[in-house]
Amino acid sequence: MSRIAVLASAVADQIAAGEVVERPSSIVKELIENALDAGATEIGVEIEDGGRGLIRIRDNGVGMSEPEAVLALARHATSKIRSANDLVGVATFGFRGEALPAMASVSLLTLETSEQDGAGTRVTVAQGVRQQVEPIARRRGTTITVTELFHAVPARRKFLKSARGEWRAISDMLDTIALVRRDVRLTATHDGKTMFTAVPARTWRERLASVWPGVTAQTMIDVDDVQGPVHVRGLVEQPANVGLGSRRVFLMVNGRAIRDVGLVRAAEAAYHSTIPSGARPSLALDIRVPGDAVDVNVHPAKAEVRFHDRWAIERVVEAVVRRALGVAAAAPMFGARFGAERTWSSGGSVADVSLLRAAPRHSPLFPSGDLTSFEVAGDTAVTDAHADTSQSALQPVGHAAHVSSAPAADVIEVPPLLQLRRTYLLFERDDGVVLIDQHSAHERVLYERLMTKLTGGDAIVQTLLFPLTLHLSPAEADAFEAHRDAFVALGFGIEGFGGQTLVVQSVPMPHHRFDAERALRETLASLAGDRIASTAARHERLAMTVACKAAIKAGDVLSLAEMRALYTDLAQTTLPAHDVHGRQTIVQLGWDELERRFGRA
Amino acid sequence: MRFTIAREKLQEGLAAVAASIPGKTTLPVLANILIETTERGIRFSGTDLDIHVSHEVQADVERPGGITIPAKKLQELARELPPNPVKIESAGEQKVSLECGRAKFKLNGLPKDDFPQFPAIRFGDGWRVKSADVRKLIKHTTYAVSTEESRPILNGVLWELKPDHMRMVATNGHRLAKMDIAVTGHGAQASDLIVMPKALDQVSKLFPDEEDLEVARGDNHLAFRSPFTTIFTRLIEGPYPNYEQVIPKDNDRFAIADKDALSSALRRMATVASDQTHRIKLSFNAGILRFQVNTPDLGDGQDEIPIRYEGDPMDIGFNGAYLLEILKNIPTPEVRLTFKAPERAATVEPEGWSDPATYLTILMPLRLSD
Repeated sequence: MSRIAVLASAVADQIAAGEVVERPSSIVKELIENALDAGATEIGVEIEDGGRGLIRIRDNGVGMSEPEAVLALARHATSKIRSANDLVGVATFGFRGEALPAMASVSLLTLETSEQDGAGTRVTVAQGVRQQVEPIARRRGTTITVTELFHAVPARRKFLKSARGEWRAISDMLDTIALVRRDVRLTATHDGKTMFTAVPARTWRERLASVWPGVTAQTMIDVDDVQGPVHVRGLVEQPANVGLGSRRVFLMVNGRAIRDVGLVRAAEAAYHSTIPSGARPSLALDIRVPGDAVDVNVHPAKAEVRFHDRWAIERVVEAVVRRALGVAAAAPMFGARFGAERTWSSGGSVADVSLLRAAPRHSPLFPSGDLTSFEVAGDTAVTDAHADTSQSALQPVGHAAHVSSAPAADVIEVPPLLQLRRTYLLFERDDGVVLIDQHSAHERVLYERLMTKLTGGDAIVQTLLFPLTLHLSPAEADAFEAHRDAFVALGFGIEGFGGQTLVVQSVPMPHHRFDAERALRETLASLAGDRIASTAARHERLAMTVACKAAIKAGDVLSLAEMRALYTDLAQTTLPAHDVHGRQTIVQLGWDELERRFGRA
Repeated sequence: MRFTIAREKLQEGLAAVAASIPGKTTLPVLANILIETTERGIRFSGTDLDIHVSHEVQADVERPGGITIPAKKLQELARELPPNPVKIESAGEQKVSLECGRAKFKLNGLPKDDFPQFPAIRFGDGWRVKSADVRKLIKHTTYAVSTEESRPILNGVLWELKPDHMRMVATNGHRLAKMDIAVTGHGAQASDLIVMPKALDQVSKLFPDEEDLEVARGDNHLAFRSPFTTIFTRLIEGPYPNYEQVIPKDNDRFAIADKDALSSALRRMATVASDQTHRIKLSFNAGILRFQVNTPDLGDGQDEIPIRYEGDPMDIGFNGAYLLEILKNIPTPEVRLTFKAPERAATVEPEGWSDPATYLTILMPLRLSD
């Protein structure tokens, strides 16, 4: 006898069932998707004992004729595709033709269906074996009842969770479907009690409000933006609400609910500096990409998709969410800078510097006269008191580079700056509007300064009247020991380190808002547990962490002088366009883009 | 509630409490001013929950009562009223009508009971102090408080009331200001209070020098009262750091300088000092003080002024902004500085001050790490 044999189709079905029919929720999912593909507008779900007792899905879809009903229970029978070519850009939920036979192979399945009110068909299949086909009278649509689930497969039955646990999985899945198809009435009962009702909703917000009770759907922020071929719509939680209620995430790509850590991370990255680290926002995003940009046939339950250019799509999601959060709803899209390389070593830095250094055109809204008079007033006071002082001492800060003994740096002419949302600095150029993220920009400035100090430069140290005493966790104490020399190089004068208590006698003073105690605490907390071997990498990591903790935050009100200083400092850094996390510090909105948005182009 | 009030009295009452009304608030009633009738006339009150200010003015009360009205609207309106008596009458709990000459207005308010109450404080057990003394302490110390969130205790000003003297101390950990004023028989027992600077600002603004002030303490509140004005404030709790310990006792280098000359040299240097650290290097020598600033990427500068100096020559760095702020509050034309070493605390005091008060400031140096 040959040792290799083709499997009997019933065995193959049972193997397929392992992938498709994992647990009751996957059966419910497959059946509801079938119902939706059949054009149903009302779907009723009945569950008993978490699905172990009974799973019944009723729909008012197109139904099937008797031969179709029989065929539907055969493996790889599908109405949805005909050839492999149809797989590209497939638009229906199901298409593999695996689900029904797989289910039928591990349960007692009854299929009742009718193409129009009146005559219908009932097909019964027990553990993969067709029992009977009989005519019945029923309304248009299909009802599928699954009982005795996994009766013949005790190993699978053992892996089912409690009725509650299985119901929770079903309920999560119903939430997902309700969000994918807000036009469908979806109801569900568990052990006879109505547990879920979603009536057809006009807007996503309406649906979210009924599906996610713990999330304040009313205050969620609308996202709706097109970047190239990618269209992102949806609702994201207001930063202020993040962490207050329960956290829910829903992602849909081309109408299909998916899980995708990368996209969620991209959307979350957009919240950076608006919410406390560790807090995670609720998100509901509907992403549309061209059918050929995504492959949906990579996962049997179709919970994951593969993007041909994932990086580009994540970038769009982050940008779009950030814009929805940060910029007033009516503001236009980012212009030319948006597509720029976001890598550290990008050659774009020269262009970035020129973005800051080129002479700006004065904004009519914020005439330079105001600023000039401000400066002159300051200078006059000095001049009056000391008419005899040397010319150089009278130069305002912004122009002092003229008399600088430092290498002949370009004079950086600071345009009139405006602080927006206590987060961004805005100025105008010949070719458009440029925005600077104050936290990111400051982070970049501090990072480069800190690196200079760590590689042998001088640090300016403020001695303290009252030493700071920090009590550290063992992991933080280890982190401190590992970075001790670097902390000293940065200007932390630390004495009496015994066990887990630090006594800090002096601190660096990178700017006047600097809160040394907090920065030191947060830095040690985030360094705790790090295992970085090389000194250079350790220094880099330390400088990044300190820069992030020490930088001015979004929400800090900056004076005009501080804004100007930040602008100048940023222009003098080597990589002004990116902060230490690789995010952009500068964003430009071109006039052409603005005009297009206003329909002037 | 019904009363008639002179336009000026209305404006006075509103002006007194306006500063205590928060600009932005999540609790709508805090944007309102509470108006109540009293035996003497009308009392206006405003609060941001940290500080509660009330001020009483004369008025003819016909029917007692109270209501709260949006402070900003009422103030704008009062500013534009003709110079006639103003008749104010409540219409229900949430509306008030206002008549002045032929102008008539109705404003929507909120019920009086919505307005937050401050705990009652018994003035009987309190202190009696001179407003002029308190204002002097406030002026010379509050500038030195900290704004960092990590040490909230330093966000407050320490006010020590002792049987024979009062003292205020403020510090942000880099500089400290301390002033003492002798007092006689102010009443109650000694107490240490930590007060929010914005409450002290209000005290400075609302109590003129010539007034006598009653001060009383509740559990964690403090109240100030003059015949017509009352200010309540929350106290900051916790132990104030032991500042006596950090006052240098063995500084053995002394300098006396002309305050204006020193200030203007510092301002000149500040133009080329770093925006971040404001570091200025001072070199003390017999007869001369040299200044030096060198800021990479920006430029450098030198200057010098004549001084009197005793001790070995010494270089020391300071945050120029801190030193300038201290000098601004030094009450004498000459200033005395003392040092021990470039990394140790320096003191700055008035020189030749004939005032009974004593004033001391401490400044920690900015060091260049090596």
